[in-house]
Amino acid sequence: MQETGTAPSTAQVVQPKEKLFSKKNKRTLSDPLSDNNPITLQVLGICSALAVTVQFNTALVMSLAVISVLSLSNVTISLLRNMIPSKIRIIVELAVVATLVVLVDQILKAYLYDISKRLSVFVGLIITNCIILGRAEAFALQNKPWPSFLDGLGNGMGYAAILLIVATGREILGSGSFFGIQLIPESFYAAGYENMGLMVLSPGAFILLGLIVWGQRMISKKFEEN
Amino acid sequence: MHKNSYVIIFAAAVTITCSILLASAATLLRERQQENIALDKQKNILTSAGLIESGAEDVTRKDILDLYDKNIRSQVIDTTGHVLEDKKVEDVDPKKDKHLLPVYYYQKDGTVLSYIIPISGKGLWSTIYGYIALEPDLNTVRGITFYQHGETPGLGGEIVKEWFTSNFIGKRILSPDGRLVSISVVKGKVAEKIPESEAYHYVDGISGSTLTGNGLTNFIKKDLVRYDPYFKKLRNKETE
Repeated sequence: MQETGTAPSTAQVVQPKEKLFSKKNKRTLSDPLSDNNPITLQVLGICSALAVTVQFNTALVMSLAVISVLSLSNVTISLLRNMIPSKIRIIVELAVVATLVVLVDQILKAYLYDISKRLSVFVGLIITNCIILGRAEAFALQNKPWPSFLDGLGNGMGYAAILLIVATGREILGSGSFFGIQLIPESFYAAGYENMGLMVLSPGAFILLGLIVWGQRMISKKFEEN
Repeated sequence: MHKNSYVIIFAAAVTITCSILLASAATLLRERQQENIALDKQKNILTSAGLIESGAEDVTRKDILDLYDKNIRSQVIDTTGHVLEDKKVEDVDPKKDKHLLPVYYYQKDGTVLSYIIPISGKGLWSTIYGYIALEPDLNTVRGITFYQHGETPGLGGEIVKEWFTSNFIGKRILSPDGRLVSISVVKGKVAEKIPESEAYHYVDGISGSTLTGNGLTNFIKKDLVRYDPYFKKLRNKETE
């Protein structure tokens, strides 16, 4: 990785600067992957998580789109954080996010037309994905660009991880395939095995998501207080 | 606190930067996007004729171009049923030339195996575009596809799915005495709503998207009526 290569040189600067991968920065990156996952703990971005997870490859492209939009919007807003007038900050944040989303959508239309058709409105709806505006407000406005980038990357990957787990489950149970490749052999179908139709529909995603949230909270022992 | 003038200048700067970025991206990518759209149309013509399986994902660019080149011919006709030899399908602008209609033929060794016509019209939210392919009897539906729409995903958006489009296959657009009836999307199931003797003019609707279904019913009929003079001629020629 290039980042690790530059780390020692910054450490040699007379004024001790924060290392690129200091403990704090690492936590910024890794927290949203599990302990503070945007979907399972903050319960943000559920709408698209349900819609694009019928197949693995749409979920993968959606994940990449969200990761890139989230990290770039965090960096941009963090760079502008001292210039943005607080009165219009939400509008400015939205303008940045919307620009990035439209860019991603245009690129998908040019290079991955089929997938962009199947993702239909959901790429456009990244604009309203609460994770993105939430991170911009809660993190990027107060932090420097590099930690903001890591925060965006971490949250994006946390979102992606859940999306991909749900998509894997749905595609295998619902269509008997993975990444478009048939997994369940014909002989199983001949013997009376049937795909779970429920998994192709939105409730299937709800059920899987619920199980994941349950499992994660069992492990992390974080519960809502009554 | 920032001054008002600063706020205005900042907002203007952000807006201008964003617009420049988007405008340049759109210009740079336009050519490729349009190529994709054209390719997608060809793919849908092939799908409606049954040359590509509905919902197939592993078809490459080259496959589509090859299949299209080998099997599909096209012609321009007008609403009175005359063939216009000097026009090409690509030159027809559906918005301007309302009386000009493109027809696609799936041909093998000089015999036409299917007639394919574009269909389009209003759904619930958007204009839906698609193709309908008819068997050589110009009565039985060979296939139908929808390739561009803005209907609700999961509801009206389901019209593009194979489970819906496959309902059309084998349905007939003419009544036994030769009148054009077209095909209607029913609200609910055909088996429950329509007497069996007429079931071949109807397909099952999608629950939650009655209005999209009504839209389909209307514009399929509208477009078939526009092509009817030409199809009548062809049918008469055959019976002679």
